Amino acid sequence: MKTNYYEHLLVVNAVIDEEEIKTTVQTYVDFLKENGCEIDEVNEWGIQRLAYDIDGKRSGYYVNLYFTGPASVIATLERKEQIDDNIMRYITIKYDNKMLRHRELQKKGAVPEVFPDTDEGESKDDDD
Amino acid sequence: MLKNPQHPKKGNLRTKECKFTKSGIEYIDYKDVETLQRFINDQGKILPRRVTGTSAKFQRQLSRAIKRARHMALMSFVVENLR
Repeated sequence: MKTNYYEHLLVVNAVIDEEEIKTTVQTYVDFLKENGCEIDEVNEWGIQRLAYDIDGKRSGYYVNLYFTGPASVIATLERKEQIDDNIMRYITIKYDNKMLRHRELQKKGAVPEVFPDTDEGESKDDDD
Repeated sequence: MLKNPQHPKKGNLRTKECKFTKSGIEYIDYKDVETLQRFINDQGKILPRRVTGTSAKFQRQLSRAIKRARHMALMSFVVENLR
C-alpha cells in the first residue's frame, strides 16, 4: 500500500490532570501504531498559552507527531479526534518532496534562518 | 528617477527582496511562529507583498502557514485591546 509522510499537531485540553493527558496522547499514538503507521517522532511541547481562548480555556497541551502511514488512517484518526472532548484542535499535513527535504534539514538542525542575527539585521535596515 | 544615479531620492529607495528566497528555505513551517510574526501587522493582519517584498511563490506559502498557525491557536486572528 502506498504510504505518505504526515505531520500531525494536536492540542489537548490542559485543564484535565496530567495522567489523563498522557493517556489521551497515548491512545492516539497506539491507534496509529495499530493501523500500520510507523511513528517517526513524538514531540510533546507541553502546556502552552493559546493565542486566543478556545471554549473558555487559555492554555493547551501541544503534541506534535510525525509518522509514515497509509492515507486511509487519516480519516479515522480525525474522526476519533473530532468526537473526543479532550482534543481542542488538530491538524494533519501531508509532506511533499520539498517539505521532506525541509524536514531532513530540520532533523539536522540546519534549516536556513530567514532572519539571521535578528538585532543586527533590524538596525541595518533602519540605516538604509 | 530610477535610472538616474544622481537623483536625490535614490538613496531613500530600499531595494525590496524576498527574505525567503534569500535564505534559501524551501518550505515555510507554520510552527515557526517567530518568523511568521514578522509578516503580520499589529492588528494581526497578513502584510501585503508590496510591503514586505516577498515573492509570489512564498507569499502563497506564507499566508497558508499563517492561517494554519491561527487555526492551531499559535497566532491570533485579531489582536484585542489594542492601545
